[in-house]
Amino acid sequence: MAKASLSRLFSSLSEHSIAKPSFTGFRSDSVARSASNSTTRFVCSSAQQSQLNHGGKVDEEDREALKENLESKNKEEGEDGDEGDHVNKETGEVGGPKGPEPTRYGDWERNGRCYDF
Amino acid sequence: MAASIAYIGGHLQYGVNFCKGQSYKQAVWVPGVIFNGCLQRELSWSCGVSKFLQIRQCNLFRSPSNKKSKSFRTLATSAYLRDGTTKYFDFAVIGSGVAGLRYALEVAKHGSVAVITKAEPHESNTNYAQGGVSAVLCPSDSIESHMQDTIVAGAYLCDEETVKIVCTEGPDRIRELIAMGASFDHGEDGNLHLAREGGHSHHRIVHAADMTGREIERALLEAVINDPNISVFKHHFAIDLLTCQDGLDTVCHGVDALNTETQEVVRFISKVTLLASGGAGHIYPSTTNPLVATGDGMAMAHRAQAVISNMEFVQFHPTALADEGLPIKPKKTRENAFLITEAVRGDGGILYNLSMERFMPLYDGRAELAPRDVVARSIDDQLKKRNENYVLLDISHKPREKILSHFPNISNECLQHGLDITRQPIPVVPAAHYMCGGVRAGLQGETNVHGLYVAGEVACTGLHGANRLASNSLLEALVFARRAVQPSIDHMKSSNLDLRASDLWTLPLVPKSLGSDVMHKILRTTKEVRKELQSVMWKYVGIVRSTRRLQEAEQKIGELEAKWETYLFEHGWQQTMVAHEACEMRNLFCCAKLVLNSALARHESRGLHYMIDFPHLEESKRLPTVIFPSSGTTSTWSSRQLHQHSTC
Repeated sequence: MAKASLSRLFSSLSEHSIAKPSFTGFRSDSVARSASNSTTRFVCSSAQQSQLNHGGKVDEEDREALKENLESKNKEEGEDGDEGDHVNKETGEVGGPKGPEPTRYGDWERNGRCYDF
Repeated sequence: MAASIAYIGGHLQYGVNFCKGQSYKQAVWVPGVIFNGCLQRELSWSCGVSKFLQIRQCNLFRSPSNKKSKSFRTLATSAYLRDGTTKYFDFAVIGSGVAGLRYALEVAKHGSVAVITKAEPHESNTNYAQGGVSAVLCPSDSIESHMQDTIVAGAYLCDEETVKIVCTEGPDRIRELIAMGASFDHGEDGNLHLAREGGHSHHRIVHAADMTGREIERALLEAVINDPNISVFKHHFAIDLLTCQDGLDTVCHGVDALNTETQEVVRFISKVTLLASGGAGHIYPSTTNPLVATGDGMAMAHRAQAVISNMEFVQFHPTALADEGLPIKPKKTRENAFLITEAVRGDGGILYNLSMERFMPLYDGRAELAPRDVVARSIDDQLKKRNENYVLLDISHKPREKILSHFPNISNECLQHGLDITRQPIPVVPAAHYMCGGVRAGLQGETNVHGLYVAGEVACTGLHGANRLASNSLLEALVFARRAVQPSIDHMKSSNLDLRASDLWTLPLVPKSLGSDVMHKILRTTKEVRKELQSVMWKYVGIVRSTRRLQEAEQKIGELEAKWETYLFEHGWQQTMVAHEACEMRNLFCCAKLVLNSALARHESRGLHYMIDFPHLEESKRLPTVIFPSSGTTSTWSSRQLHQHSTC
């Protein structure tokens, strides 16, 4: 049952044919952001690995580290945008969102925020 | 509010021509359930007429020529009444979102246009519609497929002819936007990049990075500002439509507005009026809509004797960030809700109630991966049963790096309020997002009020049925704004409206005489009443409904409204007085009751409307819900027009 709904929720993975010449096709593989590697390194070096911890309080040091990390990533993305339009290697989309395909779970999401559904 | 609610029996055809009085009547009286059955009755009041008309600018309002010349000069005439200003335009547009602006740009080729908007022009639901707009733009896609997806999503309550028209005309409307300068994402080969959203069986979502609505709004606004025939009146809050009775017909001749910056009343006399005032999210406490979305247009139209339809179909998103659950509360109340994406659940997020019980498996075998509306109902049910205000969405068991890289927006937002989503669950609550129902529109955007057209979220065109398909709302706005153009031009040319029309209605009154102390009290009380109404709507007219709860809502809202109005009038408020907050409040009451009464009338569950005591679809009930104008005898301040009604 879960699988059936998963297939409903996920964007088309395989049955959509490769685009005809006049339109850009959509390929489903989500692309790990190039920025995320640096994010990973930064987070690993400065904060503890997360465990299942429902009641955990955010301690000041971690909060600062996370904040710095996010700010530097946002800045990086901003700079990319300023230099020229980003081209998605998988879909060929120019100037589109970086990272996972916004509609991969059916709604329209960017960085976790949903904008349309 | 005495209202008659009926199912239009026989068929779902919205193609009734409202301009032919007799045929409209026939559609109304097709056998069905009539509740509180009564038709519109004119209120015959004597007119108060201002005797102090002074015409400062003596440009006579000449009848428009047939030339579609770009050099057509704006001939907006202003007349200054003692207590306000009257302006004359060929076309008045209420609302500055995609529907209003698109229409304005077309009709401006034929006459003078006033765009009346209650805040800054860009402040609209359109601006926040940041997904995409759907259209058949790919050779392997088809109109039939788009139609089918729309009808399935709408739980088969859509009007098929409307769906066909919108899906067919959509692609041309997109191409026009591009020609106007809207910049949509494309591939390296230069062709439009089309995404595929849930519910669509093909790639057909056109978008601009992730700011589609904002980009469309920007392009249209630029064109509007540069158009010499269009005058934009921002911070002008529309109060009531100016209507009169011409035999059995109600005719619209414009709208009264309050300039909220100068506290002056402005009367707009127009041959044609387009209502494009958007949604009513703020009848609920948590909504994605900006503050301007208080259902002004639906309320004004209802008071003006326009027919309203399908108001029970309110679209909620199941998981908006619940500020109440954040360790550090936002300093200011968040104006529009932050929606947490489906992807969090897709990536393994788990829903818990405040006792840390995982509840989704109780409702559906797919648990957190159940369809969105199942999740919304489950959360709603938990909140009602437990009398709590939010639930928890936990993704903290997933790798920290993945959480941060996939959901930086959520991480950042929560972090700013003291919550680390890699360690703690996210507080979430459903938020109202879109009104599928509204002012009943024919295929050309016409209403049963002559000279009044509607487009966009304020309209009920039959496209969405019982539930809106993703990205169809911008499309509907574009198509209907365009379709309303020719009938509007035809109506304008045949209109014999003249300068004296302004005398027909009493002017609204700014409450200077009450003094600042009293006004302060009234504003404070109004603010509290607004919160109370939102709370009642959420508790009793929310996602999971029942007859008992709806009846309780009816009683509570009735009492609240009476209490508020009594307070106002006890403090010296008069029938024709206007203030921004008070007028919004009366519109919120009006819309809340429209939603409530529609919900009470539908004895089945379909699409967005779910009733515990009628949990299944009933084929015999696959009909639109229609609310006719009220009789006016026992009406409240929110349900009747401010000015004294008159005959043309």
